[in-house]
Amino acid sequence: MSQHDKPAGKKSEGWEPKIIAIVCNWCTYAGADLAGISRIQYPPNVRIIRVPCTGRINPFYVVKALQAGADGVLISGCHPGECHYITGNLSARRKFATLKSFLNYIGLEDGRTTFTWVSASEGERFAQVIKGVTERVRALGPATKLIKKLRDVSVAAAK
Amino acid sequence: MEKVEKKLREEAKKLLAEKKVDVIVGYEAGTLPLTATPVFITTPEEADKLVWNSFCQHNLAKYVHDLISAHKDSQKRLKPEDRKRKVVGVVTKGCTSRSLVIHLQERQYERMDTAILGVPCTGYVDRKKLAAKLGGEEILEGSLDGANLKIKTASGEKTIALKEVLADNCLTCRINNPVISDSMMGEPAPPMDFASEYAGVDEFEKLSPEERWAYFEKEMAKCIRCAACRQACPSCYCRTCFAEQSMPQWVGISEDPSDTQAFQFMRMYHMVGRCVDCGSCVSVCPMGVDLRKFLKKLDKDCFVLFSQRAGEKIDFPAPLQDQRMDDKEEFIYSPGGGH
Repeated sequence: MSQHDKPAGKKSEGWEPKIIAIVCNWCTYAGADLAGISRIQYPPNVRIIRVPCTGRINPFYVVKALQAGADGVLISGCHPGECHYITGNLSARRKFATLKSFLNYIGLEDGRTTFTWVSASEGERFAQVIKGVTERVRALGPATKLIKKLRDVSVAAAK
Repeated sequence: MEKVEKKLREEAKKLLAEKKVDVIVGYEAGTLPLTATPVFITTPEEADKLVWNSFCQHNLAKYVHDLISAHKDSQKRLKPEDRKRKVVGVVTKGCTSRSLVIHLQERQYERMDTAILGVPCTGYVDRKKLAAKLGGEEILEGSLDGANLKIKTASGEKTIALKEVLADNCLTCRINNPVISDSMMGEPAPPMDFASEYAGVDEFEKLSPEERWAYFEKEMAKCIRCAACRQACPSCYCRTCFAEQSMPQWVGISEDPSDTQAFQFMRMYHMVGRCVDCGSCVSVCPMGVDLRKFLKKLDKDCFVLFSQRAGEKIDFPAPLQDQRMDDKEEFIYSPGGGH
């Protein structure tokens, strides 16, 4: 994410949404693997970061991703009750319920952040989620809020 | 209020004389008229300094945490059997008591480390509101006369109704009496107008995302990142704040607006189920950032989603320490419907 291909906040030709997916190792990552093995097609706009559990995800990751210019952030883990660490996803659910609500409250578009559950056997669902999220973010256009623009300024100054 | 003050001094004297506490944190009259300032009392003779009035705005839980953690650090170099406990007495109004509960929920110290002198609270005077009422004129003399403030300025004497200058968070305070106390000074105070507690939040929610973002951007543009809000907040007690962490560096130190926005957003987000709406951050902010508009939303969400309020119940885990299988999850995305 450190490289901005295009200046953030400008709707440019051929813009493709950049989506950061932070997924848990035991369910969603395995689900993504299954989608790959089953050769299910889904949009290539998503960059996956694997973490041990959704409970491990610091809500700051989401803010950081948005600040670094991600157009959308997806977080996905095991369905409630199926967590490898028993209650990691339940703790995460409380954190993300309030995080999403607060992000929306300050004026971020609802479609920028997405939280869902995908189990290891749901390759099809994983592809659907990625399709759905990419469509939602595409409809919103490039992200304009919370983005750190300083890099673009210095790049412009260097030219 | 004078009765409360008298009882408070007696109780403080008793505790100190019996050596049940090492120090009492309370309020004394400030050096300027119509102010009160925190005071640390260690001998019974000093107890007469204590005051309790409508100018006692500080949330003293901050000092309790500071004193106990500094003491614990100093004890680390001693053998375990030589270590001593330091008991801190604290003059506690509603919001202070909730902050103490949060500290206890988060295992910062034990209940026996504190002696809680509960006081009924009817709100404190917002200095900024008062200054606005006086048109910025300096207060030369002032006194509280029932429900009115009698103030002498260079241009003459003025009478201002106390209710007009009470802080916003006090006007809609839900818990103005301490939720825990060892001894209560006087009768509990009458409730404030808490029905309209979330009126500001509800109104803000109705705006479009663009309008809300514009407001957030405008407010955050005022912030100079002096971190006074963090220093004053009783729930902000981390030894190393995320804002100063360098590995990883959560918040950039540039002058880019997004760094300030991210800092404020993250600091506020830390307050889920931990903000007691004591108004400390708002009162110390030198730039007048409307932090309460955002913090109150977290309080509302916490209640709507988890049916809990920050520091309300001592024998109950804090909202984000806890979880339930049947927590609400309307926000979970489901592409094909169902889960």
